[in-house]
Amino acid sequence: MRDIKYKIGFLLIIMGLFLPMGLFAQASGETSLIMDSLQKFWSQTSFANFEFKYLVMIVIGIAFLWLGISKNWEPLLLVPIGFGILVGNVPFTEGYQIGIYEKGSVMNILYSGVLTGWYPPLIFLGIGAMTDFSTLIANPKLMLIGAAAQLGIFTTFIGAYALGFTPEQCGAIGIIGGADGPTAIFLASRLAPELMGAIAVAAYSYMALVPVIQPPVMKLFTNNKERLIRMKPPRQVTRFEKIAFPVIGLLLTTFISPSAMPLLGMLFFGNLLKESGVTERLAETARFALINTITIILGLTVGASTQADKFLTVDSLLIFGLGAAAFIVATAGGVLFVKFMNLFLKEGNKINPLIGNAGVSAVPDSARVSQEIGLHYDKTNHLLMHAMAPNVAGVIGSAVAAGILLSMLT
Amino acid sequence: MELLYIDSWSELLIGSVIGIVVVFIALTILVLLFSLTQYLILNSSKKKLIKAGKKEEEIIDVSANEIAAISMALHLFMSDIHDKESNVITIKRIERRYSPWNSKIYGLNNTLNR
Repeated sequence: MRDIKYKIGFLLIIMGLFLPMGLFAQASGETSLIMDSLQKFWSQTSFANFEFKYLVMIVIGIAFLWLGISKNWEPLLLVPIGFGILVGNVPFTEGYQIGIYEKGSVMNILYSGVLTGWYPPLIFLGIGAMTDFSTLIANPKLMLIGAAAQLGIFTTFIGAYALGFTPEQCGAIGIIGGADGPTAIFLASRLAPELMGAIAVAAYSYMALVPVIQPPVMKLFTNNKERLIRMKPPRQVTRFEKIAFPVIGLLLTTFISPSAMPLLGMLFFGNLLKESGVTERLAETARFALINTITIILGLTVGASTQADKFLTVDSLLIFGLGAAAFIVATAGGVLFVKFMNLFLKEGNKINPLIGNAGVSAVPDSARVSQEIGLHYDKTNHLLMHAMAPNVAGVIGSAVAAGILLSMLT
Repeated sequence: MELLYIDSWSELLIGSVIGIVVVFIALTILVLLFSLTQYLILNSSKKKLIKAGKKEEEIIDVSANEIAAISMALHLFMSDIHDKESNVITIKRIERRYSPWNSKIYGLNNTLNR
C-alpha cells in the first residue's frame, strides 16, 4: 500500500514537470514542434509499424523457444533460431540500418556469412572434429544406407518442380530432405537466396522434429521379426584406418563431386585434426569454440531472416510441406534399402532395418531414434553404435548430393 | 561448371536419376576401398602373428564390448588398490604456540552487558 502511494507520487511529479514545459511551449508558440517530435518518435516505434503478421511470427518464435527449452528438442538450434525470429520480427521503420535485409546494418553484416555461405563449412569443420567414423570404417557396407536416404532430396526436387518452383529453387528446397541444416543453408545461398529463411527454418525445424517424424515411418515399414535383429558388434579399428579415412574420403568424394569441396573438405579436415592425435588443440577449438560461435550467429541470423513481410508467403508454406514430405521419403528410403540389403546378406550378418532412418544426416538425433525404437522392442538390443555408421555416411551423402545439385543447376 | 541444363520434365527426371546414382557411386567406391583396406590390414596383422609363432585358430578378434568390459574391470581393480590403506588410525598432535593475535580472549567481552 505504501509502495503504491510512492508510485502515484512519483507519477504526479513527472506529470508536474511536463506541465510547465507545455505551458512554456504554448507561450512561445512551439507546440507544433513538440507535437511533431512526439509524432515522429511515435511513428518510429514498433507500435506504429505493427501489423498482424509480425504477431504471428513472434508467436512462432516463442513456440520455438518453448520447444527448445521445455521439450528439450534440439535446444542448441531452436533457442537461437527462436530468439532470432523475435529479433527479426520487431516492427521498425526502414531506412535506419536496423533490419537484417538493410545493407550495412549489424544484423545484415552477421547475415552475410549465411548469404555468402561461409558459415556452413566452418560448422562442418566442427562436426568433423566431433565425429568418430570408427563404426563406419568397421562395417563399410552401412555407408550405402546413407546414400539411400538421399532419395528424399531428389524426390522433393521433383515435387518442388511440380509445384511450380524454378529448377534452382527446387534444388535448394530438395536439400531439406538431407536433414542437414548447414548443407541446406550452403545450397540455398548459392541457388535460391530469396528462399533462404524458409529453407533454413524448415530444415532446422524438421531436424528438431526427427523424434516425432521418424518413428511412425520406421514402424510402418518394418515387422516385429525385423525389429528384433541383432547385429554383430563392430570390430576394432586401427589408428592407420582412422587417419586414412579422411584423406581417402576427401580425395574420392571431391574428385566425383568437386562442388561439395567446401563442405566435405572442411568435414574431413576436422576429422583429420581429431584422428591425427597431434593437433588436439586445433581439434578442440574446432569442436567447441568455433562451432559454438558459428552456431550462435548462424541460428540467430537465420531466425532473424524470417522477417514477416519476406517470410509469410505461400512459397514458405509450400516449402514447409515439401520439407515434411522430404523427411518422410528419406526415412522410408533408408529403412527400405536396409530390407533390400538383407535379401542378399547371410543369416547372422543381417542389418536391423531400424537403423535405416539414421541414413538422414541429422547427427546424432536420428541414430538416437534408432536406439530408442530398438530398445522399445528388445530391452537389450542396443543399436546406437550401428546407427551412427549410416548417420555419418548421411552427412557425406547429403554433401555429395548438394555438390551434384550445385553442378547441375549453377 | 554445368553438367545439365534443366528446362523440362524429362531433363529434371534425368537430372534426379543422375544425382542419386552419383551419390550411390561415390559411397559405393568408398565402401569398396575401405573393405579392401580392412582386408589388407587384417590379413597383414594375421600374417605377422603367424610369423611370431601363433596358430591360426588362436587368432581371434576381441570385440569392442569385451575390451570395454576388461578395461572397466581393470579400472575398478586399480581404484580398489588405491583405497586399500594401512587401516591404522593415527592422530597427529599439533602443538600451537600462544600468540595474542590468535587468542580468543580478546574476541570476547569480559563483562556481560545488561
